[in-house]
Amino acid sequence: MTTDRIRTEGGVEYRFVHPDDFREHVRDRKGRSPVPKLFTAKEAVAAFVSDGDYIVYDFSSLTRGPQSLIREVIRQRKKELWIGAEFTLHESPLLVGAGCATRIDVGFLGYGNYIGQAVCDGRVKTYEWTNGGLALRILAGARGVPFLPTRDMLGSDNMKVSAAKSITDPYTGDPVCLVPALNPDVAFLHVHQADVLGNARIFGTNLFALEAALASFRVIVSAEEIVETDEFRKDPMRTTVPYFLVDAVVHAPFGAYPGAMPARYEIDLDHVDRLNAIRTDEQMGKYLEENIYSVADHDEFLDRRVGAKRMRELRRRATIIEGYR
Amino acid sequence: MARTIEFTDTEFMIAQGARLIEDGKTIFVGWGIPQVVAMLAQKLYVPNVTQLFEFGAIGPQSVLPFVRGTMGGPQNTYRSLQWLNMNWAFSYSATGYMDYGMLGALQVDPYGNINSTHLGGTFASPARRFAGSGGGNQVASHCWKTIIVIKHEGRRFVPKVDFITSPGYLDGPGAREKAGLPRGTGPHRVVTSKALFGFDEESRKMTLLSVLRGVSVEEVVKDMAFRPLLAPEIGEIPPPTDDELRVLREEIDPDRFIIRGEKMAAIA
Repeated sequence: MTTDRIRTEGGVEYRFVHPDDFREHVRDRKGRSPVPKLFTAKEAVAAFVSDGDYIVYDFSSLTRGPQSLIREVIRQRKKELWIGAEFTLHESPLLVGAGCATRIDVGFLGYGNYIGQAVCDGRVKTYEWTNGGLALRILAGARGVPFLPTRDMLGSDNMKVSAAKSITDPYTGDPVCLVPALNPDVAFLHVHQADVLGNARIFGTNLFALEAALASFRVIVSAEEIVETDEFRKDPMRTTVPYFLVDAVVHAPFGAYPGAMPARYEIDLDHVDRLNAIRTDEQMGKYLEENIYSVADHDEFLDRRVGAKRMRELRRRATIIEGYR
Repeated sequence: MARTIEFTDTEFMIAQGARLIEDGKTIFVGWGIPQVVAMLAQKLYVPNVTQLFEFGAIGPQSVLPFVRGTMGGPQNTYRSLQWLNMNWAFSYSATGYMDYGMLGALQVDPYGNINSTHLGGTFASPARRFAGSGGGNQVASHCWKTIIVIKHEGRRFVPKVDFITSPGYLDGPGAREKAGLPRGTGPHRVVTSKALFGFDEESRKMTLLSVLRGVSVEEVVKDMAFRPLLAPEIGEIPPPTDDELRVLREEIDPDRFIIRGEKMAAIA
């Protein structure tokens, strides 16, 4: 491409990996052998998440999000993370409030006043890719190409504060937007069912579960339920991610709490309201201490901070089963 | 005999939005108020509208009441025709299958450009920072007709938005096409808590079409930081009907998290 084809470019920093470098990682570092990969959340996050990593997650903090893994990242006090904030509500305020994340590709920045104030205070840098742009970047990463074109973002100010480029399309001669591939360091997926090898099933919609699993250097799956491999072979249409994309499987009942897990348990709106109400560092500190730092792991969090009675109630309220199984 | 009906500004905005949705069409629904507009419309007026959510819920028929803040939950996506993901969802809009898009906004300008990113300061150092595009940019870029739903407050109607998050007609006629956006798309209506606006075919500028019964044109315009064009005849919008209010208050939002707002009254 000659440079005179480029019409506009944002020129800000962005995460990028050459597709051949990613392919070599896949060749050399991703195991194809179907071996058990069951880890505790503590082990998986310690082994596969490093300071400075770029992380993505699927789906939402209110629905089927990998909230127990996010809490474990915070508990281990990871630093300098860059997050792809797609469909994000509470992940960004928690990760920034805990000092874990310093850069955010937006997406949807998050919910509530805390995260907006953190941006105003300069505690976190943001880049505006839009939800569609980020999803397309991950699709490019998943297709092993350096970029993909799209006919949105164009004309908007997102073009100035992302690294998207507007170029002259060689086919139509019209301007078209290009977004670079995104190959995150780590993808967190919370799923309904997984086997110990890493085959995983999501029931319901997702953001980019398969794309993120394909595009990411390391993939941690947390699952409500561990099932036999044969279950996947009996109903292959329902496999979301095959085992060889996955590095670790964590058994995490109530892993989406306080969000809902469709057909398993309902959202805990009281807890969500507490998150939404966080405005100050003091309130954030109190929340983190009570729900994350002061408990050893997810099981202890459920036992001591949520309680069997509440979990029973949330399970009882998950009455919408149609479409999920 | 004349009867006075009481409602909130939010209820009126939602109700008049719901009346705009055409049956037998497709609509890409944004997060927040647009979800409630679509629920009310589907319940009362347009049983054959197909809604689409950005994460790939195609044709959902939400279970009421609305669980505040949620969009991807089992209630929101109930009895969809198809469940997919984000890249597929935007494929439906990018190929031209979405007749309407409906979005909320923080700020809007005379060309229907939407800001939902920051207010004041600069992008790098904003006075106030908000969530940003989400999927709004794609909705406003791809859908044939975009409907913007926004509270009628002066600080929201500005001559120039602080940040163009989702494109309207940019800086005037032909600008969308010049930027490379799909031909024949753009903002169609702006639904507010007092009035309804369209966009002039020639100049692409926001044009006042009608006002809530009992509200004067001057009352509508004085609340805006720019002067909109005025349609040759300004229509009158009836206040929320008993049915609309009953569905909103009893079925969709019994806790009144969404529909609360400034109290208003009009002749029913």
